[in-house]
Amino acid sequence: MAGALPIRDTARREDAPWLTLKMREAMESWLFISPTLAGFLIFFVGPLIAVVWYSLTEWNLLTQQATFVGLDNYSDALFRNPDFWHVIRNSVIFAIGLVPLNMALALSLALALSGRFAGVVIFRTVFFAPVVTSAVAWAIVWKFLLQGEAGFINQMLASIGIDGPNWLREPNWAMAAVIVTRVIKMVGLNMILYIAALQAIPRDYAAAARLEGASGWQIFRWIIWPLLGPTTLVIMVITTIGSFKVFDHIYQMTGGGPENGTLVLAFYIYQQGFQFFDVGYASALAMIMFVVVMMLTIFQLVLRRRDT
Amino acid sequence: MTASLTRRRIRIINQICWTLALCIVAIPFVFPFLWMVSSGFKSAAEIFGSPSLVPREWQWQNFIDVFKHQPFARQYLNSLYIAVTVTALTLLVSSLAGYALARMRFAGAALVALFLVSALMVPEEVTIIPNFFMMRWAGLVDTHWPLILLPTFGPQGIMATFLMRQYFLALPKELEDAGKMDGLSRLGVWWSIALPMSRPALAAVAIITFLNSWNLFLEPLIFVSSLDKFTLPLALSNFTDPYGMPLWHLQLAATSLAVIPILVVYIIAQRQIIESFALSGVKG
Amino acid sequence: MKTTMKRMTTTVLALGMMSGSLGAAELRFTIWTGNEAHLKMLNGFAESFKAKHPDVTVKYETIPPGDYTQKLTFQLAGGNAPDAGWLMEDAAPTFAAAGVLDNLAPALNKAQGYDFADFSKPALGLWTAGDKVYGVPFSTSPFVIFYNKDLFDKAGLEDPNALAAKGQWNMAKFQEVSKKLKDATGKWGFEFKDGQGYDTRIMHALMPPIRAAGGDVWANKQCGFDKPEAVAAVKQLHDMVFKDKSIVPPGEQGDYFSGGSAMTINQISRASLMPKAGFKWGIAPLPTGAGGESPVIGQAGIVVFSAGKQKELAAEFVAHMTTKDNVAAAAQFFPPARKSVLDSDAFTKSNNLIPPEQMKVVADAISKGKVLPAHEKSPQILAAMKPRVDALWRANADVEASLKAVCTAIQPLL
Repeated sequence: MAGALPIRDTARREDAPWLTLKMREAMESWLFISPTLAGFLIFFVGPLIAVVWYSLTEWNLLTQQATFVGLDNYSDALFRNPDFWHVIRNSVIFAIGLVPLNMALALSLALALSGRFAGVVIFRTVFFAPVVTSAVAWAIVWKFLLQGEAGFINQMLASIGIDGPNWLREPNWAMAAVIVTRVIKMVGLNMILYIAALQAIPRDYAAAARLEGASGWQIFRWIIWPLLGPTTLVIMVITTIGSFKVFDHIYQMTGGGPENGTLVLAFYIYQQGFQFFDVGYASALAMIMFVVVMMLTIFQLVLRRRDT
Repeated sequence: MTASLTRRRIRIINQICWTLALCIVAIPFVFPFLWMVSSGFKSAAEIFGSPSLVPREWQWQNFIDVFKHQPFARQYLNSLYIAVTVTALTLLVSSLAGYALARMRFAGAALVALFLVSALMVPEEVTIIPNFFMMRWAGLVDTHWPLILLPTFGPQGIMATFLMRQYFLALPKELEDAGKMDGLSRLGVWWSIALPMSRPALAAVAIITFLNSWNLFLEPLIFVSSLDKFTLPLALSNFTDPYGMPLWHLQLAATSLAVIPILVVYIIAQRQIIESFALSGVKG
Repeated sequence: MKTTMKRMTTTVLALGMMSGSLGAAELRFTIWTGNEAHLKMLNGFAESFKAKHPDVTVKYETIPPGDYTQKLTFQLAGGNAPDAGWLMEDAAPTFAAAGVLDNLAPALNKAQGYDFADFSKPALGLWTAGDKVYGVPFSTSPFVIFYNKDLFDKAGLEDPNALAAKGQWNMAKFQEVSKKLKDATGKWGFEFKDGQGYDTRIMHALMPPIRAAGGDVWANKQCGFDKPEAVAAVKQLHDMVFKDKSIVPPGEQGDYFSGGSAMTINQISRASLMPKAGFKWGIAPLPTGAGGESPVIGQAGIVVFSAGKQKELAAEFVAHMTTKDNVAAAAQFFPPARKSVLDSDAFTKSNNLIPPEQMKVVADAISKGKVLPAHEKSPQILAAMKPRVDALWRANADVEASLKAVCTAIQPLL
């Protein structure tokens, strides 16, 4: 790659003596960045504009016929289709269930594992292992474990005298099951972010406080927790956005059921666009998702700016 | 003397309690893997018949039938070569752009960075429909191209760009200046000075990109429809007989085959891998 | 003017086709089976097609059955249409309405000795509109009861065939027998089709009893789930699942083919699993109800896609696959819709797994049966039904209210 282009700067200078240093630097910069930029325009900006246009049409995926319908798809979603608000409700419940659970568990594990003791590496490895595993594989296994009476979890519960619910068959339990298995899958990621943040806190802070007679809880509440602020914010936003994107996990474990109890926005877009061929409506949903995620991102930026 | 002894004793007891507690918390993280492998060796009837982790009869046949049921070896290879290609392409493209954003002065640099950042947070689901039509237009549906192009240039690739940029920014500038003095071009400086110094960042990008491609699901689901072009995550959900009846034992055997190599590599290189994710996450 | 233009284009196209068929050509044909015996037969058809088109090869592409319609949609919408392929019944009206299926009538009329009138009229309902033919059914397979003779013997019960012979094989008896089987053997009395009655096979679970009771899921754009016959039929099923506990309930496994249930409902293609099952078995008609005998039929057809590049050649191949001889040859796996084949002795003897007197049950059901309901919007209808049917399959569900909810959800789509 490098060999194909002139390595010697001097040679180049003679090739193009009319270029000022600054202009050449700018040109080179654009060359360096052009693959990324081109890809960004083709696979991101273009589609984003297209999706706005699609969302204003009625477009059948199979027949490929599009007619302009204005804002009909949006008003369908917002005012006419009861499924839409049900889906939004599910997505919000999913996020509200997942984010605090994930963060609390991540922080607890990080606090337990930020020190140095025998076995700390083993535990970190264990808690992080599901992160590198494919979501499909993870969901397949849990789907089996959570079967009705014959499922492993319920057999275990039965052996201690508890009659477990039919997890993936009751809407509320199914939502809970999806949330908890997702947390177990992803918590390792937030755990290591917290560990990194904890290890960056100088040890003398806590030591000094301890000398002054502060309890463990006080040290955490008044010294560590505030110092973790920026990390907590980042983790919160990343995790929330991630929770809106969840697709493969739901697809494998519940397929949006039972009783649409786990039908979330990402899955709903897929269903409308690719199963019901309703490209226009699906695009309107995609735009709504885009706006929601953008708002979350801006919210994060504003909070961070205020912080620093 | 005795005080310090009791203190040490308390510490040890404390330690044991903590370890025990952590072991209990670790169960749902470890058990699914154990159950998966053990069930992969069971017959279909035994998977739901007995909760024991040790199969009554070891069905080695399952692991042979997996390959008979569908072109699983081919699908495995597909996943592997796609992940390697995406990783190589991402490394090249993101380190070039990351270098320009970190080191080079040009009008509009800040604007470009801002533009690119905006792509970071947008889910693939938003742009997947137009991308589908674009691939259709280009005649690339049911090929592996979308699975290579979309992740390389999508949010994942841009995240890699910023990771590289962040790392380049932290590198000492002196060496590069010296290289320039020696008459190296920008490309030369990037290739023979900046890149060799950025091994940790390159490794992080490589690890995360590889895993991301390996586990990709939505794109293969939509773009690939021929069995011999499937990737692993798709293949795993395809263990039904010709009439649509699930073949659990084969599915779990196949899942084990797909997951275990990654887990083994992970356990060997866990430090490096976990650090890579930490590096990528901090940038937020 | 317009017609002349059209005719000209057709001629040009036809010429193009002919010149195309002179050179080597490959037809892409999608199927959902990977079964070796099926493939062998299909490749045989491709081989015999060479008699007329020596340079044409056929490439069969297997798409998993669970995702078949979905993946086919991706191929069609993605500009990567196969030339021809199998199509499931529930997709037929959707695809025909979207204009992605080609009219086969010209090719079938042209084929020598084809005798299209030989196909039984009811079996063509889904695949024809006026004088257009969008597909040729290759499998017209009635639902029958598979039973585990060993479990019936163990429970000391007469098997369904014996009961049917005495005219006692009705829904009440079915419930009674299932309960006795469960109590006597500890195995489930009955399993829905492939254990999927609560998921992908909702229709296959609810349809037969509703029709036996004299109702239907919908007819003439009217939802039928909340009609008294349907409510009674579903209530009975609900009782069997949750009171008698004789039907495998949601979330449980009771695989008939490995001996977990004494009876199941399925199509005869499933008999291929039986030699491995290791118990004595038989097939029997569906139990009758207030509506008398009402066999239910599942169908699959062969279609040509209008986006394909070799439509005429593909249509010719479809005609070739469905000649009398080839339909007779396929009958061992796929019950035919051709009357001449259905009536022949050869058909009742075609399946070496099923004795001729039981094959008569099959032939009988094909001639009397009704095809499963299908609709242009079936993907939406099924999706709208699913959550409401999920609600139905709870122990404390109000069956009538749930079925009303199903109707409220699907009526606008009908």
